[in-house]
Amino acid sequence: MNRKILQGLLWLAAASVIASGPRGTVPKASANRYPSHAEKGGVNVGAALLTSDEVRKTFVSEVNRCCLVVEVAFYPAKDKPQAVSLDDFSARVTGTETAVKPSSAKVVAASIQKSAESQRDITVSPSVGIGYESGPYGGHGTYKAAGVAVTVSEPGSHSGSSERDRDTMLTELSEKGLPEGMASAPVSGYLYFPLTKKKDTPLQLDCVLNGSKVSLTLP
Amino acid sequence: MAARVLLLISLLTGPAMFAWAIPRQAATVQEEAAISAASDSSKQARDQTPGAPQTDPNEKKDAKPQHKIHVRLGTVSLGLGYSYSSGPYYYPYSVFGFYPYGVAYPALFCDPFWCAYPSLLNPVYSSSLAYAEDKGQVKLTADPKTAEVYIDGGYAGTADQLKTMWLDSGAYDLSLSAKGRKAFHQRIYILSRKSLKVLARLEPEEEPDRAREKGVKP
Repeated sequence: MNRKILQGLLWLAAASVIASGPRGTVPKASANRYPSHAEKGGVNVGAALLTSDEVRKTFVSEVNRCCLVVEVAFYPAKDKPQAVSLDDFSARVTGTETAVKPSSAKVVAASIQKSAESQRDITVSPSVGIGYESGPYGGHGTYKAAGVAVTVSEPGSHSGSSERDRDTMLTELSEKGLPEGMASAPVSGYLYFPLTKKKDTPLQLDCVLNGSKVSLTLP
Repeated sequence: MAARVLLLISLLTGPAMFAWAIPRQAATVQEEAAISAASDSSKQARDQTPGAPQTDPNEKKDAKPQHKIHVRLGTVSLGLGYSYSSGPYYYPYSVFGFYPYGVAYPALFCDPFWCAYPSLLNPVYSSSLAYAEDKGQVKLTADPKTAEVYIDGGYAGTADQLKTMWLDSGAYDLSLSAKGRKAFHQRIYILSRKSLKVLARLEPEEEPDRAREKGVKP
């Protein structure tokens, strides 16, 4: 009897995991495979700042509109699960004083939707026609035609501007975001920082590992 | 007396659609997100008010400026025609509906150069994978082309039938399977009016004997 209950509970747990979708990204083999990495108390952490091209290829959502994206990977020490929380991270552009915490997927999705809502598309459709006519008695002639149609889209008709699109973006950003909770195995995912920076200016990522602050410079 | 109207060349080069967006909004090839260990995301959904990105006002921005108005090049129509009339000018065209193109293009019911595009570009919505204005497009390229396509576990057709499909905005599990090939799985995210390219190459499965040989330790 107890065995059946246990099996049922296992099925429920498995179903809830499947229903929640994938979480995060696949961590690389080790932290030193990332451009920036550090170790503190047996915990290794690696991080990489995505370029705008990489962001465009990685996300369907137009995250470039609002944020810098950093991929972070944790490698907990053996038999010592590591707590992962977005609150443990902050980033600032080198040379500036303002540090920001990562935005939640919900905030980023709302921000992108708001930006898309205000966008308008102007479509220009040119058309050209040319022809030749001939008939009896030597009659012949050519005809030519040209035209341009210009259409201006209504606000809110752009991709990413609908409520349903916002839900999709929220799903994507959540599923690819760094999973929070206790990690006993390597775990990785993206963080979204509402920052902009110059191309050659590095980003400084600070995180708290077991109460100690670790700084990573991301080129 | 009798006149013949011949349309020798009527070449429509459409629908040639060129879509340029400034800044570029090309179709996005997305990478598969994979399952990792920890999972609690309750804090990720915490309420925050969406704010503008913080930036140093003296800094030149790295990202391209986000213009609110984008200019796109839409449908480009090119027409080329030739007509020949062998009879006198007083030939009663009314027999052919008073306009010679009406004979050659009965399905279009209008001038072939300028009226054909709406009917060609907007196919009739007939199934859940058909075009609709608020859907997103999936351009699927698969090897082999006969692979079976499953969307969220439901059979949708074969890859060669589904080179282009339209899905409602949302997240889907796309799977392809073929005999003798490893299954292909990808999580895809569809936004309305956006195109997504998916390249599914199903690798050949290892033969059972070879797989067994690999598993045996010396």
